[in-house]
Amino acid sequence: MYSPTNTEQQQLKALAKGDRETTEQIYQQHYPIINGWLIKNGGSADDAADLFQEAMVVMFGKAQNADFRLTCSIGTYLFAVSKHLWYKKLQQSHKEPSRLYDNVGDDNEIPGLAVEEDINVHHEREAHYEQLDSSLDKLGEPCRSLLKAFYHHDKSMQEISADFGYTNPDNAKTQKYKCLARLKKLFFATQAK
Amino acid sequence: MNANNISELAEAWVSGTLSPEEMAELKNRMNTDAEFAIEFNETILLIRSLNGSGNQKRFRAMLKDINSNQVAKAPEKRIIQLPAHFWRTSAVAASVALLTSFLTYTLFVARTKNTDSQYSTISREVDHLKRVQMKQQETQNAIIDSINKKKSPAPPPSDVRYTGTGFALTNDGYFATAAHVINNGDFDSVYIQCSDDVYYKAFLVNYNSKADIAILKVEKKNFRFGKSDVPYELQSDKVGLGARIFTMGYPNDDLVYSEGYISARNGYEGNKQQYTLELPAGHGQSGSPVLDEKGNMLGILTAISNPDEANTYAVGAQALTDLIQHMPPGSRMRLPKSSHLSGLSREKQIQKMEDFTFSVKVYKK
Repeated sequence: MYSPTNTEQQQLKALAKGDRETTEQIYQQHYPIINGWLIKNGGSADDAADLFQEAMVVMFGKAQNADFRLTCSIGTYLFAVSKHLWYKKLQQSHKEPSRLYDNVGDDNEIPGLAVEEDINVHHEREAHYEQLDSSLDKLGEPCRSLLKAFYHHDKSMQEISADFGYTNPDNAKTQKYKCLARLKKLFFATQAK
Repeated sequence: MNANNISELAEAWVSGTLSPEEMAELKNRMNTDAEFAIEFNETILLIRSLNGSGNQKRFRAMLKDINSNQVAKAPEKRIIQLPAHFWRTSAVAASVALLTSFLTYTLFVARTKNTDSQYSTISREVDHLKRVQMKQQETQNAIIDSINKKKSPAPPPSDVRYTGTGFALTNDGYFATAAHVINNGDFDSVYIQCSDDVYYKAFLVNYNSKADIAILKVEKKNFRFGKSDVPYELQSDKVGLGARIFTMGYPNDDLVYSEGYISARNGYEGNKQQYTLELPAGHGQSGSPVLDEKGNMLGILTAISNPDEANTYAVGAQALTDLIQHMPPGSRMRLPKSSHLSGLSREKQIQKMEDFTFSVKVYKK
Protein backbone atom coordinates (compact mmCIF):
# COMPACT_ATOMS: atom_id res chain seq x y z
CA MET A 1 0.00 0.00 0.00
CA TYR A 2 2.85 2.37 -0.65
CA SER A 3 1.32 5.55 -1.94
CA PRO A 4 3.64 7.90 -3.74
CA THR A 5 2.62 11.53 -4.08
CA ASN A 6 -0.25 12.09 -6.40
CA THR A 7 1.70 14.44 -8.56
CA GLU A 8 4.42 11.88 -9.23
CA GLN A 9 1.93 9.14 -9.97
CA GLN A 10 0.13 11.47 -12.37
CA GLN A 11 3.43 12.41 -13.95
CA LEU A 12 4.20 8.75 -14.54
CA LYS A 13 0.81 8.14 -16.10
CA ALA A 14 1.30 11.04 -18.46
CA LEU A 15 4.85 9.89 -19.18
CA ALA A 16 3.61 6.41 -20.09
CA LYS A 17 1.40 8.02 -22.71
CA GLY A 18 4.35 9.96 -24.07
CA ASP A 19 3.09 13.36 -22.93
CA ARG A 20 5.63 15.93 -24.01
CA GLU A 21 5.04 18.56 -21.35
CA THR A 22 5.48 16.04 -18.53
CA THR A 23 8.56 14.56 -20.13
CA GLU A 24 10.07 18.02 -20.40
CA GLN A 25 9.28 18.70 -16.74
CA ILE A 26 10.97 15.50 -15.61
CA TYR A 27 13.88 16.22 -17.91
CA GLN A 28 14.45 19.70 -16.57
CA GLN A 29 13.99 18.66 -12.97
CA HIS A 30 16.25 15.65 -12.87
CA TYR A 31 18.73 15.91 -15.72
CA PRO A 32 21.03 18.50 -14.07
CA ILE A 33 21.61 16.24 -11.05
CA ILE A 34 22.63 13.26 -13.15
CA ASN A 35 24.69 15.45 -15.43
CA GLY A 36 26.55 16.87 -12.42
CA TRP A 37 27.12 13.45 -10.94
CA LEU A 38 28.41 11.97 -14.17
CA ILE A 39 30.86 14.79 -14.73
CA LYS A 40 32.28 14.14 -11.27
CA ASN A 41 32.58 10.49 -12.21
CA GLY A 42 34.52 10.91 -15.39
CA GLY A 43 31.79 11.23 -18.00
CA SER A 44 31.13 13.91 -20.58
CA ALA A 45 28.02 15.98 -21.23
CA ASP A 46 27.20 13.76 -24.20
CA ASP A 47 27.49 10.67 -22.01
CA ALA A 48 25.13 12.30 -19.55
CA ALA A 49 22.52 12.99 -22.22
CA ASP A 50 22.71 9.38 -23.47
CA LEU A 51 22.61 7.96 -19.99
CA PHE A 52 19.71 10.07 -18.84
CA GLN A 53 17.68 9.32 -21.95
CA GLU A 54 18.31 5.61 -21.49
CA ALA A 55 17.16 5.84 -17.87
CA MET A 56 14.06 7.69 -19.02
CA VAL A 57 13.35 4.90 -21.52
CA VAL A 58 13.72 2.30 -18.74
CA MET A 59 11.19 4.21 -16.64
CA PHE A 60 8.94 4.69 -19.66
CA GLY A 61 9.01 0.95 -20.28
CA LYS A 62 8.13 0.23 -16.68
CA ALA A 63 5.36 2.79 -16.63
CA GLN A 64 3.62 1.05 -19.55
CA ASN A 65 2.40 -1.49 -17.05
CA ALA A 66 -0.85 -0.11 -15.61
CA ASP A 67 -0.13 -1.65 -12.21
CA PHE A 68 3.22 0.07 -12.01
CA ARG A 69 3.89 1.91 -8.76
CA LEU A 70 7.16 3.54 -7.95
CA THR A 71 8.54 2.59 -4.56
CA CYS A 72 10.59 5.76 -4.44
CA SER A 73 10.54 9.19 -6.00
CA ILE A 74 11.08 9.67 -9.74
CA GLY A 75 14.35 11.42 -9.03
CA THR A 76 15.70 8.60 -6.88
CA TYR A 77 14.68 6.04 -9.46
CA LEU A 78 16.25 7.83 -12.42
CA PHE A 79 19.42 8.42 -10.47
CA ALA A 80 19.70 4.77 -9.41
CA VAL A 81 19.11 3.51 -12.96
CA SER A 82 21.59 6.00 -14.40
CA LYS A 83 24.25 4.96 -11.92
CA HIS A 84 23.77 1.30 -12.71
CA LEU A 85 23.86 1.92 -16.45
CA TRP A 86 27.01 3.96 -16.09
CA TYR A 87 28.85 1.41 -13.97
CA LYS A 88 27.82 -1.30 -16.40
CA LYS A 89 29.18 0.74 -19.25
CA LEU A 90 32.45 1.31 -17.43
CA GLN A 91 32.77 -2.38 -16.67
CA GLN A 92 32.19 -3.25 -20.30
CA SER A 93 34.91 -0.90 -21.45
CA HIS A 94 37.18 -2.26 -18.66
CA LYS A 95 37.60 1.17 -17.22
CA GLU A 96 36.87 1.21 -13.54
CA PRO A 97 35.78 4.58 -12.22
CA SER A 98 38.74 6.35 -10.71
CA ARG A 99 36.79 7.29 -7.65
CA LEU A 100 33.33 6.36 -6.46
CA TYR A 101 31.60 9.27 -4.80
CA ASP A 102 28.49 7.30 -4.03
CA ASN A 103 28.13 3.72 -3.05
CA VAL A 104 26.09 2.25 -5.84
CA GLY A 105 25.27 -0.83 -3.82
CA ASP A 106 23.17 1.16 -1.39
CA ASP A 107 20.36 1.55 -3.90
CA ASN A 108 19.64 -2.13 -3.76
CA GLU A 109 18.76 -1.71 -0.13
CA ILE A 110 15.60 0.18 -1.02
CA PRO A 111 12.82 -2.37 -0.90
CA GLY A 112 11.14 -2.86 -4.25
CA LEU A 113 13.75 -0.79 -6.02
CA ALA A 114 15.19 -3.65 -8.01
CA VAL A 115 16.94 -1.42 -10.48
CA GLU A 116 19.19 -4.22 -11.66
CA GLU A 117 16.20 -6.31 -12.62
CA ASP A 118 14.47 -3.41 -14.35
CA ILE A 119 17.58 -2.87 -16.44
CA ASN A 120 17.75 -6.53 -17.40
CA VAL A 121 14.13 -6.46 -18.46
CA HIS A 122 14.88 -3.32 -20.42
CA HIS A 123 17.77 -4.98 -22.26
CA GLU A 124 15.66 -8.01 -23.09
CA ARG A 125 12.96 -5.77 -24.44
CA GLU A 126 15.52 -3.88 -26.50
CA ALA A 127 16.79 -7.13 -28.01
CA HIS A 128 13.23 -8.16 -28.80
CA TYR A 129 12.50 -4.85 -30.54
CA GLU A 130 15.72 -5.08 -32.49
CA GLN A 131 14.74 -8.47 -33.79
CA LEU A 132 11.35 -7.09 -34.72
CA ASP A 133 12.99 -4.20 -36.58
CA SER A 134 15.27 -6.49 -38.53
CA SER A 135 12.28 -8.66 -39.49
CA LEU A 136 10.49 -5.50 -40.61
CA ASP A 137 13.46 -4.54 -42.75
CA LYS A 138 13.40 -7.91 -44.45
CA LEU A 139 9.80 -7.36 -45.49
CA GLY A 140 9.34 -6.18 -49.07
CA GLU A 141 7.61 -2.98 -50.07
CA PRO A 142 5.00 -1.71 -49.58
CA CYS A 143 4.66 -3.74 -46.37
CA ARG A 144 7.75 -2.34 -44.68
CA SER A 145 6.81 1.30 -45.21
CA LEU A 146 3.16 0.70 -44.50
CA LEU A 147 3.74 -1.00 -41.15
CA LYS A 148 6.37 1.57 -40.18
CA ALA A 149 3.99 4.42 -41.03
CA PHE A 150 1.27 2.87 -38.89
CA TYR A 151 3.23 1.61 -35.92
CA HIS A 152 6.34 3.80 -35.77
CA HIS A 153 4.99 7.08 -37.06
CA ASP A 154 1.52 6.71 -35.60
CA LYS A 155 -0.23 7.60 -38.86
CA SER A 156 -3.94 6.94 -39.26
CA MET A 157 -5.23 4.52 -41.90
CA GLN A 158 -6.77 7.57 -43.59
CA GLU A 159 -3.37 9.23 -44.03
CA ILE A 160 -1.73 5.99 -45.06
CA SER A 161 -4.35 5.32 -47.66
CA ALA A 162 -3.72 8.78 -49.15
CA ASP A 163 0.10 8.53 -48.90
CA PHE A 164 0.29 5.07 -50.45
CA GLY A 165 -2.37 5.69 -53.11
CA TYR A 166 -5.07 3.27 -51.98
CA THR A 167 -8.56 4.02 -53.15
CA ASN A 168 -9.93 3.94 -49.61
CA PRO A 169 -8.81 3.24 -46.03
CA ASP A 170 -10.44 -0.20 -46.07
CA ASN A 171 -8.17 -1.34 -48.88
CA ALA A 172 -5.19 -0.03 -46.95
CA LYS A 173 -6.42 -1.96 -43.91
CA THR A 174 -6.68 -5.21 -45.84
CA GLN A 175 -3.13 -4.63 -47.06
CA LYS A 176 -1.99 -3.97 -43.51
CA TYR A 177 -3.44 -7.28 -42.29
CA LYS A 178 -1.67 -9.11 -45.10
CA CYS A 179 1.55 -7.43 -44.13
CA LEU A 180 1.06 -8.36 -40.49
CA ALA A 181 0.64 -12.01 -41.41
CA ARG A 182 3.85 -11.90 -43.45
CA LEU A 183 5.77 -10.15 -40.73
CA LYS A 184 4.54 -12.70 -38.22
CA LYS A 185 5.94 -15.54 -40.31
CA LEU A 186 9.30 -13.84 -40.70
CA PHE A 187 9.56 -12.81 -37.10
CA PHE A 188 8.67 -16.16 -35.56
CA ALA A 189 10.87 -17.97 -38.08
CA THR A 190 13.91 -16.00 -36.89
CA GLN A 191 12.87 -16.51 -33.27
CA ALA A 192 12.70 -20.27 -33.72
CA LYS A 193 16.27 -20.43 -34.97
CA MET B 1 -10.64 -18.22 -41.20
CA ASN B 2 -7.76 -16.81 -43.19
CA ALA B 3 -4.70 -14.95 -42.00
CA ASN B 4 -6.23 -11.53 -42.63
CA ASN B 5 -9.14 -12.28 -40.38
CA ILE B 6 -6.85 -13.44 -37.62
CA SER B 7 -4.89 -10.20 -37.85
CA GLU B 8 -8.07 -8.17 -37.76
CA LEU B 9 -9.42 -10.12 -34.81
CA ALA B 10 -6.14 -9.83 -32.91
CA GLU B 11 -6.02 -6.09 -33.54
CA ALA B 12 -9.54 -5.66 -32.20
CA TRP B 13 -8.62 -7.80 -29.20
CA VAL B 14 -5.52 -5.76 -28.37
CA SER B 15 -7.40 -2.46 -28.64
CA GLY B 16 -10.28 -3.91 -26.59
CA THR B 17 -13.03 -3.29 -29.12
CA LEU B 18 -14.45 -6.81 -29.21
CA SER B 19 -18.05 -7.21 -28.03
CA PRO B 20 -18.81 -9.73 -25.25
CA GLU B 21 -20.37 -12.09 -27.81
CA GLU B 22 -17.29 -11.93 -30.02
CA MET B 23 -15.12 -12.54 -26.95
CA ALA B 24 -17.12 -15.64 -26.06
CA GLU B 25 -16.89 -16.93 -29.60
CA LEU B 26 -13.17 -16.31 -29.68
CA LYS B 27 -12.65 -18.11 -26.39
CA ASN B 28 -14.62 -21.04 -27.62
CA ARG B 29 -12.59 -21.26 -30.81
CA MET B 30 -9.32 -21.00 -28.87
CA ASN B 31 -10.37 -23.96 -26.77
CA THR B 32 -11.34 -26.16 -29.67
CA ASP B 33 -8.83 -25.19 -32.36
CA ALA B 34 -5.25 -25.47 -31.09
CA GLU B 35 -3.70 -24.33 -34.35
CA PHE B 36 -5.83 -21.22 -34.39
CA ALA B 37 -4.96 -20.52 -30.76
CA ILE B 38 -1.25 -20.53 -31.55
CA GLU B 39 -1.68 -18.30 -34.59
CA PHE B 40 -3.85 -15.92 -32.65
CA ASN B 41 -1.50 -15.68 -29.68
CA GLU B 42 1.46 -15.06 -31.94
CA THR B 43 -0.38 -12.30 -33.74
CA ILE B 44 -1.29 -10.65 -30.45
CA LEU B 45 2.33 -10.78 -29.34
CA LEU B 46 3.39 -9.30 -32.64
CA ILE B 47 0.92 -6.43 -32.52
CA ARG B 48 1.79 -5.67 -28.92
CA SER B 49 5.49 -5.64 -29.75
CA LEU B 50 4.88 -3.37 -32.72
CA ASN B 51 2.85 -0.99 -30.58
CA GLY B 52 5.43 -1.04 -27.81
CA SER B 53 8.35 -0.60 -30.15
CA GLY B 54 6.59 2.25 -31.94
CA ASN B 55 5.73 4.03 -28.69
CA GLN B 56 9.29 3.69 -27.52
CA LYS B 57 10.72 5.00 -30.80
CA ARG B 58 8.51 8.07 -30.62
CA PHE B 59 9.47 8.54 -26.97
CA ARG B 60 13.18 8.33 -27.80
CA ALA B 61 12.75 10.82 -30.61
CA MET B 62 10.98 13.18 -28.25
CA LEU B 63 13.77 12.86 -25.68
CA LYS B 64 16.35 13.70 -28.32
CA ASP B 65 14.31 16.68 -29.36
CA ILE B 66 13.89 17.91 -25.78
CA ASN B 67 17.61 17.49 -25.22
CA SER B 68 18.61 19.41 -28.33
CA ASN B 69 16.21 22.20 -27.38
CA GLN B 70 17.90 22.39 -24.03
CA VAL B 71 21.32 22.51 -25.60
CA ALA B 72 20.11 25.24 -27.92
CA LYS B 73 19.00 27.26 -24.92
CA ALA B 74 22.27 26.66 -23.12
CA PRO B 75 24.20 29.80 -24.20
CA GLU B 76 21.70 32.00 -22.33
CA LYS B 77 22.15 30.24 -19.03
CA ARG B 78 25.58 28.78 -19.03
CA ILE B 79 26.07 26.16 -16.42
CA ILE B 80 29.38 26.11 -14.66
CA GLN B 81 30.01 22.87 -12.88
CA LEU B 82 30.92 23.54 -9.30
CA PRO B 83 33.02 21.07 -7.38
CA ALA B 84 30.93 19.03 -5.00
CA HIS B 85 31.71 20.93 -1.86
CA PHE B 86 30.77 24.34 -3.14
CA TRP B 87 27.45 23.10 -4.30
CA ARG B 88 25.92 23.78 -0.94
CA THR B 89 27.21 27.33 -0.91
CA SER B 90 25.52 27.97 -4.21
CA ALA B 91 22.34 26.55 -2.75
CA VAL B 92 22.51 29.30 -0.14
CA ALA B 93 22.68 31.92 -2.84
CA ALA B 94 19.72 30.36 -4.54
CA SER B 95 17.72 30.28 -1.36
CA VAL B 96 18.37 33.96 -0.75
CA ALA B 97 17.05 34.70 -4.20
CA LEU B 98 13.94 32.66 -3.50
CA LEU B 99 13.32 34.25 -0.13
CA THR B 100 10.61 36.65 -1.23
CA SER B 101 8.46 33.97 -2.70
CA PHE B 102 8.94 31.71 0.30
CA LEU B 103 7.79 34.47 2.63
CA THR B 104 4.57 34.97 0.74
CA TYR B 105 3.97 31.28 0.85
CA THR B 106 4.55 30.96 4.57
CA LEU B 107 2.26 33.86 5.38
CA PHE B 108 -0.42 32.42 3.22
CA VAL B 109 -0.23 29.08 4.92
CA ALA B 110 -0.27 30.68 8.33
CA ARG B 111 -3.41 32.66 7.54
CA THR B 112 -5.44 29.76 6.22
CA LYS B 113 -4.54 27.83 9.30
CA ASN B 114 -5.89 30.51 11.63
CA THR B 115 -9.22 30.91 9.94
CA ASP B 116 -9.92 27.36 8.97
CA SER B 117 -9.08 25.34 11.96
CA GLN B 118 -8.70 25.14 15.65
CA TYR B 119 -6.33 22.30 15.04
CA SER B 120 -2.74 22.71 14.21
CA THR B 121 -0.20 20.09 13.38
CA ILE B 122 3.00 20.51 15.29
CA SER B 123 5.81 20.04 12.89
CA ARG B 124 8.02 23.09 12.78
CA GLU B 125 8.21 25.05 9.59
CA VAL B 126 11.65 26.42 9.77
CA ASP B 127 12.00 30.17 9.93
CA HIS B 128 13.49 30.97 6.57
CA LEU B 129 14.96 34.36 7.34
CA LYS B 130 16.89 33.27 10.36
CA ARG B 131 18.03 30.20 8.62
CA VAL B 132 19.53 31.97 5.68
CA GLN B 133 21.59 34.14 7.99
CA MET B 134 22.84 31.16 9.89
CA LYS B 135 23.30 28.96 6.91
CA GLN B 136 26.53 30.55 5.76
CA GLN B 137 28.08 29.68 9.07
CA GLU B 138 26.56 26.21 9.10
CA THR B 139 27.71 25.46 5.61
CA GLN B 140 31.25 26.38 6.44
CA ASN B 141 31.15 24.32 9.60
CA ALA B 142 29.67 21.44 7.68
CA ILE B 143 32.45 21.54 5.13
CA ILE B 144 35.07 21.68 7.84
CA ASP B 145 33.27 18.88 9.69
CA SER B 146 33.06 16.66 6.67
CA ILE B 147 36.73 17.17 6.06
CA ASN B 148 37.58 16.45 9.67
CA LYS B 149 35.57 13.29 10.06
CA LYS B 150 35.21 11.55 6.77
CA LYS B 151 32.82 9.05 8.27
CA SER B 152 30.03 11.54 8.61
CA PRO B 153 27.78 11.57 5.56
CA ALA B 154 27.48 14.95 3.92
CA PRO B 155 24.74 17.12 5.37
CA PRO B 156 21.62 17.42 3.26
CA PRO B 157 21.68 19.39 0.04
CA SER B 158 18.93 21.97 0.30
CA ASP B 159 16.80 23.96 2.70
CA VAL B 160 15.22 22.36 5.70
CA ARG B 161 11.51 22.72 5.18
CA TYR B 162 9.99 20.90 8.11
CA THR B 163 11.37 19.40 11.24
CA GLY B 164 9.74 16.91 13.49
CA THR B 165 10.61 13.99 15.69
CA GLY B 166 10.90 10.33 14.82
CA PHE B 167 11.43 7.17 16.79
CA ALA B 168 12.81 3.76 15.90
CA LEU B 169 10.56 0.81 15.21
CA THR B 170 13.37 -1.67 14.64
CA ASN B 171 17.03 -1.29 15.43
CA ASP B 172 18.02 -1.78 11.78
CA GLY B 173 16.60 1.47 10.50
CA TYR B 174 12.81 1.49 10.34
CA PHE B 175 11.28 4.44 12.14
CA ALA B 176 7.99 6.24 12.46
CA THR B 177 6.98 9.87 12.45
CA ALA B 178 3.86 11.92 11.62
CA ALA B 179 2.89 11.98 7.93
CA HIS B 180 2.63 15.78 7.89
CA VAL B 181 6.24 16.06 9.05
CA ILE B 182 7.30 14.55 5.74
CA ASN B 183 4.73 16.69 3.95
CA ASN B 184 2.70 13.57 3.08
CA GLY B 185 5.42 12.25 0.86
CA ASP B 186 5.99 15.44 -1.11
CA PHE B 187 9.63 16.15 -0.34
CA ASP B 188 13.04 15.99 -1.93
CA SER B 189 14.82 14.21 0.86
CA VAL B 190 14.52 13.29 4.50
CA TYR B 191 17.35 13.01 6.99
CA ILE B 192 17.42 12.08 10.59
CA GLN B 193 19.82 13.78 12.91
CA CYS B 194 20.88 11.34 15.59
CA SER B 195 22.08 12.26 19.04
CA ASP B 196 25.71 12.09 17.86
CA ASP B 197 24.82 14.87 15.37
CA VAL B 198 25.34 12.66 12.35
CA TYR B 199 22.81 12.93 9.55
CA TYR B 200 21.43 9.81 7.94
CA LYS B 201 19.36 9.84 4.79
CA ALA B 202 16.05 8.00 4.89
CA PHE B 203 13.44 6.95 2.39
CA LEU B 204 9.68 6.64 2.68
CA VAL B 205 8.36 3.12 3.10
CA ASN B 206 4.68 3.73 3.69
CA TYR B 207 2.36 6.37 5.03
CA ASN B 208 -1.23 7.11 5.81
CA SER B 209 -2.00 10.80 5.61
CA LYS B 210 -5.48 10.39 7.07
CA ALA B 211 -4.15 8.86 10.25
CA ASP B 212 -1.09 11.12 10.01
CA ILE B 213 1.59 8.46 10.39
CA ALA B 214 4.51 7.47 8.22
CA ILE B 215 7.14 4.75 8.26
CA LEU B 216 10.59 5.44 6.84
CA LYS B 217 13.89 3.62 6.76
CA VAL B 218 17.46 4.79 7.01
CA GLU B 219 19.18 4.10 3.69
CA LYS B 220 22.59 3.21 5.04
CA LYS B 221 23.55 -0.44 4.96
CA ASN B 222 23.95 -2.21 8.28
CA PHE B 223 22.61 0.82 10.08
CA ARG B 224 21.84 0.51 13.79
CA PHE B 225 20.15 3.09 15.98
CA GLY B 226 21.68 1.78 19.16
CA LYS B 227 23.74 -1.02 20.62
CA SER B 228 20.76 -2.85 22.06
CA ASP B 229 17.34 -3.56 20.61
CA VAL B 230 14.53 -1.01 20.56
CA PRO B 231 13.55 -0.85 24.24
CA TYR B 232 9.79 -0.28 23.92
CA GLU B 233 6.96 -2.19 22.30
CA LEU B 234 3.80 -1.07 20.53
CA GLN B 235 0.66 -1.13 22.65
CA SER B 236 -2.22 -1.28 20.14
CA ASP B 237 -5.06 -1.66 22.63
CA LYS B 238 -6.20 1.67 23.95
CA VAL B 239 -5.31 2.35 27.57
CA GLY B 240 -7.64 3.96 30.05
CA LEU B 241 -8.25 7.56 30.98
CA GLY B 242 -5.79 9.05 33.37
CA ALA B 243 -2.88 6.79 32.41
CA ARG B 244 0.39 8.60 33.10
CA ILE B 245 2.38 9.18 29.95
CA PHE B 246 5.56 10.86 28.82
CA THR B 247 7.16 11.86 25.56
CA MET B 248 10.49 12.99 24.20
CA GLY B 249 11.01 15.11 21.13
CA TYR B 250 12.98 17.77 19.33
CA PRO B 251 11.14 21.12 19.25
CA ASN B 252 14.63 22.53 18.63
CA ASP B 253 18.05 20.98 18.51
CA ASP B 254 17.79 19.72 22.07
CA LEU B 255 15.88 16.73 23.25
CA VAL B 256 12.94 17.83 25.40
CA TYR B 257 11.06 15.67 27.88
CA SER B 258 7.47 16.26 28.95
CA GLU B 259 4.89 14.27 30.86
CA GLY B 260 1.16 14.23 31.42
CA TYR B 261 -1.85 11.95 31.25
CA ILE B 262 -4.49 10.71 28.85
CA SER B 263 -7.42 13.10 29.21
CA ALA B 264 -9.89 11.65 26.69
CA ARG B 265 -10.31 8.29 24.98
CA ASN B 266 -10.80 9.84 21.58
CA GLY B 267 -9.05 12.64 19.79
CA TYR B 268 -9.91 15.75 17.86
CA GLU B 269 -13.64 15.92 17.14
CA GLY B 270 -14.11 12.43 18.46
CA ASN B 271 -11.47 10.83 16.20
CA LYS B 272 -11.38 7.23 17.43
CA GLN B 273 -7.87 6.61 16.17
CA GLN B 274 -6.51 9.31 18.46
CA TYR B 275 -6.09 10.09 22.13
CA THR B 276 -6.49 13.48 23.70
CA LEU B 277 -3.64 14.22 26.06
CA GLU B 278 -2.89 16.65 28.79
CA LEU B 279 0.71 17.05 27.81
CA PRO B 280 2.63 20.17 26.87
CA ALA B 281 3.90 19.97 23.30
CA GLY B 282 5.14 22.45 20.77
CA HIS B 283 6.01 22.70 17.14
CA GLY B 284 8.71 20.27 16.12
CA GLN B 285 7.43 17.56 18.43
CA SER B 286 5.14 16.01 15.84
CA GLY B 287 6.02 12.38 15.47
CA SER B 288 7.29 11.97 19.03
CA PRO B 289 6.47 8.69 20.73
CA VAL B 290 4.01 8.70 23.63
CA LEU B 291 4.87 6.07 26.22
CA ASP B 292 3.28 4.87 29.40
CA GLU B 293 5.21 4.33 32.61
CA LYS B 294 6.09 0.75 31.77
CA GLY B 295 7.59 1.76 28.45
CA ASN B 296 4.79 0.73 26.14
CA MET B 297 4.51 2.85 23.01
CA LEU B 298 0.91 4.15 23.02
CA GLY B 299 0.89 6.63 20.18
CA ILE B 300 2.49 9.38 18.14
CA LEU B 301 2.07 13.10 18.77
CA THR B 302 0.26 14.70 15.90
CA ALA B 303 -1.38 18.01 16.76
CA ILE B 304 -2.37 20.61 19.33
CA SER B 305 -5.58 22.60 19.50
CA ASN B 306 -5.38 26.24 18.52
CA PRO B 307 -5.04 28.93 19.63
CA ASP B 308 -4.50 28.24 23.31
CA GLU B 309 -2.62 24.95 22.80
CA ALA B 310 -4.70 23.49 25.58
CA ASN B 311 -5.02 20.00 24.17
CA THR B 312 -2.51 17.72 22.56
CA TYR B 313 -3.51 14.87 20.28
CA ALA B 314 -1.75 11.61 19.58
CA VAL B 315 -2.50 8.91 17.02
CA GLY B 316 -2.94 5.58 18.76
CA ALA B 317 -0.45 2.79 18.07
CA GLN B 318 -3.19 0.71 16.40
CA ALA B 319 -2.97 2.88 13.27
CA LEU B 320 0.75 2.21 13.18
CA THR B 321 0.24 -1.54 13.53
CA ASP B 322 -2.26 -1.39 10.65
CA LEU B 323 0.22 0.44 8.48
CA ILE B 324 2.96 -2.08 9.29
CA GLN B 325 0.66 -4.86 8.13
CA HIS B 326 0.35 -3.14 4.75
CA MET B 327 4.01 -2.74 3.97
CA PRO B 328 5.21 -2.91 0.39
CA PRO B 329 6.66 -6.30 -0.51
CA GLY B 330 10.31 -6.69 0.34
CA SER B 331 10.26 -4.82 3.63
CA ARG B 332 11.11 -7.00 6.54
CA MET B 333 10.33 -5.62 9.93
CA ARG B 334 10.95 -7.44 13.14
CA LEU B 335 9.20 -5.47 15.85
CA PRO B 336 10.44 -5.74 19.41
CA LYS B 337 8.26 -8.12 21.39
CA SER B 338 9.02 -6.85 24.86
CA SER B 339 9.73 -3.64 26.65
CA HIS B 340 13.00 -3.14 28.49
CA LEU B 341 11.86 0.00 30.23
CA SER B 342 9.58 -1.50 32.82
CA GLY B 343 10.58 -0.88 36.45
CA LEU B 344 13.34 1.58 35.61
CA SER B 345 13.53 5.10 36.96
CA ARG B 346 12.42 7.79 34.53
CA GLU B 347 16.00 9.02 34.05
CA LYS B 348 17.12 5.54 33.12
CA GLN B 349 14.15 5.14 30.76
CA ILE B 350 15.01 8.38 29.00
CA GLN B 351 18.65 7.43 28.81
CA LYS B 352 17.73 4.14 27.17
CA MET B 353 15.44 5.85 24.70
CA GLU B 354 17.75 8.60 23.62
CA ASP B 355 19.37 6.59 20.84
CA PHE B 356 15.98 5.71 19.44
CA THR B 357 14.47 9.19 19.36
CA PHE B 358 15.80 11.74 16.93
CA SER B 359 15.08 14.84 14.92
CA VAL B 360 13.62 14.38 11.43
CA LYS B 361 14.55 17.00 8.85
CA VAL B 362 12.64 17.29 5.64
CA TYR B 363 14.03 19.06 2.61
CA LYS B 364 12.12 20.44 -0.29
CA LYS B 365 13.23 23.00 -2.80
